[in-house]
Amino acid sequence: MFASITAAISLGIAAPALSHHSHAMFDHTAEETITGTVADFAYRNPHVFLYVDVEGENDETLNYWIEMSNIPIMIRRGIGAGTFKTGDEVTVNFWPLKDGRAGGNYTTIIAADGTEYD
Amino acid sequence: MTLRLLASASTAALITAALVTISASAQGQNLPRDLFTTDNIRNDRDLWTDPAYFRNNTTRQIRGQAFNFDSGGEGTGQLAGSRAYGTDGNATTGPVDDLLRSPYPYATAIEHYESWLSEADGGTQHTKDTIPDWSGRWLGDVGLNAGNRSPADIVQLIQPDYRIAYVLNLQAETQARLWDANTFCLPPGFFDALGPNEWIPTPGRTWTHGEGNTENTIRWIYTDGSGHIPEQFQYPKWLGASIGFWDGDALIIHTNQVKGWHGGLYEYSDQLEAVERYRKVGDVIEAEITVYDPEVYTRPLHATGSFELDPETRVELNRMLYNSCTDTNGPSMKVHLDERGLNNERLPGEALYWDAADSRPWLTYLEEGERRYNAYLAAGGTPAHALNSDPTGQSMTDRTGE
Repeated sequence: MFASITAAISLGIAAPALSHHSHAMFDHTAEETITGTVADFAYRNPHVFLYVDVEGENDETLNYWIEMSNIPIMIRRGIGAGTFKTGDEVTVNFWPLKDGRAGGNYTTIIAADGTEYD
Repeated sequence: MTLRLLASASTAALITAALVTISASAQGQNLPRDLFTTDNIRNDRDLWTDPAYFRNNTTRQIRGQAFNFDSGGEGTGQLAGSRAYGTDGNATTGPVDDLLRSPYPYATAIEHYESWLSEADGGTQHTKDTIPDWSGRWLGDVGLNAGNRSPADIVQLIQPDYRIAYVLNLQAETQARLWDANTFCLPPGFFDALGPNEWIPTPGRTWTHGEGNTENTIRWIYTDGSGHIPEQFQYPKWLGASIGFWDGDALIIHTNQVKGWHGGLYEYSDQLEAVERYRKVGDVIEAEITVYDPEVYTRPLHATGSFELDPETRVELNRMLYNSCTDTNGPSMKVHLDERGLNNERLPGEALYWDAADSRPWLTYLEEGERRYNAYLAAGGTPAHALNSDPTGQSMTDRTGE
């Protein structure tokens, strides 16, 4: 067995990739933070999405699109379908889209009960 | 058969010893242009076999440069591999003849398979009482991956007509516009099925089930001696068609009828055929594959791998996941090629965005169709029931000119 695994490593046999697509459209050098209310929480594969309404200037509401990972990874991080409910106040740390639109890839989320999820 | 695996592992160890990491002095050697400075990679064919053309990066290091951010290896997943654009890497290089080389003398997959079948005296005829028990949830795979070898070595395993796609992709990865079937929720193809999570051997047939990256994979391996279906009925399929036999407790598989697609070194053709061998030793399934695709690869390619039992005990994680992009009710992932030529995401309210939370897409379709159709009629359009040129359906138009 050892020889076989050694051979696999030396030849660079990799485990299946968990990532569904490249995250290169997000700016990983400038993490941003928003606080707002959950407009929707789509607990689905291939990616889970959280939609957050954020009060902007002039009483405008900006809907942020927050991309999360796939359901198995969400489960491993303790995030279930009921973790975020419509109307909950949440704080989201995320890597923003490079083109400036209101959205990004989450890093951590603080739920309404104060629990922080990564 | 065990000796085959051990011999293969020993060969791999020798190959590893022969590899060298490209030295600092070799890095940055002066080329007229490289992957990061060229105006058109098509003019650089002679340079593609020089590691310096890729600034001595591995394929993974090249992909990481899409982020143009050096994480220093911190973090997980893609973040851990992120690198600054244009930086030098530390790929290894060595004799290309040894890279992913098959230790077997066969020129075709069927020759390979039939030789092993003959050596096994027609195969072991298992009963329900003797069929190996491979129950459990497994993690692992066996597929072509050259690890830290320079793309300059890997490209030499690809036929000249197919090298352009390989190198174009490397350049695209540094520019954040790669193509990947998973990204667009397209079928992942044959190589994605080489990491199954379940093995279900029975005397005449073995099934493998995999969660896949975007959709579940299932393979049927017919071990009842009936062989492949007649050639006139064969056609390319996403995961091909597989037959097999048992050599004691080892399962040998021949696969053909594979639809050419994306995977392996980068792409493969309808001509791909493969011979796989699996054997459970303790809590590990040892695996090897030999891939034959003379259309795309310059010679047969060989790799080993292994599967280990998943130690996860939580029921929400140790059961098979029904994994599908169709969970999102949409035709594809939101990732698309934007007007800049970059991979980007569609957001709510934008053209072609679809609602991932739409639980009744058929109603959306019907209502949107109703809206469009009524607008079409209001603009003077012909009703659908009047579009037939002959309401009786009896006329025949001769378009042959005879």
